[in-house]
Amino acid sequence: MTYEEFADTRLAPLLRYAVMLTGDPHQAQDLVQETMVRVQLNWRRVARADSPERYVRRMLTNQYVDWRRGSWMRRVLLRGEPDEAVPAPTDHAQSAVDRDQIWSWLSRLPRRQRATLVLRYYEDLPDAEIADILGCAVGTVRSSISRALATLRAEYVEACS
Amino acid sequence: MIEDDLRAAFTRHEQLTPPTGPLRAAIDRLATGRRRRRRRWQVGGTALALLGVLGIGVPLFTPERSGPPQAAGSTGETSGPVVTGALNILLLGVDSHKSQPPLADSVLLLHIPADRSRPYLVSLPRDLKVPIPGHGSDKLNAAFPFGAGGDRPDLTKGYELTRQTVTDLTGVRLDTGFVLTYRALRTLTDAVDGVPVCLSQRVRSVHTGKLFPAGCQRLDGAASVDLLRQRRGLVQGSQDRDHNARLFAAGLVRQASEKGVLTNPVRLSKLLDTVGPELVVAPDGATMLDLLRLVPTLRSVDPVGLSLPISEPTGRDRYLRADPALAPEFLTALREDRLGDWVARHPERVDPVG
Repeated sequence: MTYEEFADTRLAPLLRYAVMLTGDPHQAQDLVQETMVRVQLNWRRVARADSPERYVRRMLTNQYVDWRRGSWMRRVLLRGEPDEAVPAPTDHAQSAVDRDQIWSWLSRLPRRQRATLVLRYYEDLPDAEIADILGCAVGTVRSSISRALATLRAEYVEACS
Repeated sequence: MIEDDLRAAFTRHEQLTPPTGPLRAAIDRLATGRRRRRRRWQVGGTALALLGVLGIGVPLFTPERSGPPQAAGSTGETSGPVVTGALNILLLGVDSHKSQPPLADSVLLLHIPADRSRPYLVSLPRDLKVPIPGHGSDKLNAAFPFGAGGDRPDLTKGYELTRQTVTDLTGVRLDTGFVLTYRALRTLTDAVDGVPVCLSQRVRSVHTGKLFPAGCQRLDGAASVDLLRQRRGLVQGSQDRDHNARLFAAGLVRQASEKGVLTNPVRLSKLLDTVGPELVVAPDGATMLDLLRLVPTLRSVDPVGLSLPISEPTGRDRYLRADPALAPEFLTALREDRLGDWVARHPERVDPVG
């Protein structure tokens, strides 16, 4: 597979995945951009992987989890010019986000927990594959999911009472 | 039920996903730029590694002439057999004049990992604020003149104080090192019959008045040194000087390989013979022979260019400061010989030496 072929089919799903991780289209674009630049520069290594797609997803997830430690967040924050590639979210979408409580609760979760939720309930991946992507044990994935769900449930209870 | 809500929330927010077209173009553009920079770096890095190897190789080829100056400041640190394990070599590029104390304009750490995969060339910014033993805090490049002294600068002592400063700063054990002066550079350039460079902007020397026009030209030793000293009057000052230095380094490697110097051991030893006496070698020369022997064991001689992570300069601070978050992590990786991992996690940090 060439990089071009990979990008043709996989860029859109990766971008959607990044939106679910970050909850924000701008940050999702930056996350995917930074990851895919590295993918392109190191394509031979990526192509050698059993599943290039999973390899890239792992790169992207690690980049997201390492957010604060890495430098790309800082670059994003310091960048002066607005990215013209990003369409401004429409009012409709924005207000939908505001109304969407569960979406906003997600942003309070630790990043690894959020990533497990996205991989489980958006990408519908089995625990073993999630563990592979996050580089942890299957048990860790399960406990991470149940802890994240417990946090969300607590928010529910609080909001309803 | 919360699981179902989650699935629904994710699906609902798919509409936030921006179009991929502009993103794809931006990725291609960025990757192209980074690939070009990386290539430029690799050429320049090879030149610096060549210089490093030359410096290391000198005592072997010219033992009687390049005998290191007696090192009064030597701590007598013995590193023992170093053929295995990681190695750290300190390279100092020094602006030396008879009239004024020399400054170490480039401070480089050549790290050779234990697995001998490839060398890492770590530059420490010359304007970095560091504690200098016995001299308070100052810019890193000031350690050299503090050590060397004013009247008749002793390069070995300058090297020694810089070595201590860098050791304190990084916690890295330095196995050996060498000092490359402009004089050595001049001899080296003349030994390969001049170096071709293509300048992107014209440069007027503030020292000799010589004009270097924009475009391609061949420089002899004296002209090379003159050009590499120019910083004032360039649009971006010391950044542009570093750029010229990279151009020069690339030209030097091209020229040396055209003349077959890199591949022909007879020519190489002749070149070392010429340049050798001009190089000041660190006093701990016991390991040099071992070092030279390990050069062929490297799987790749293309060095990875890195620099110590620096925080964003604030206001009109005349010093640079190490990044409080990234620098310790980087230095730990350097100490523990895990730079490969670090680079894998921070590929954007691989850069031309600034």
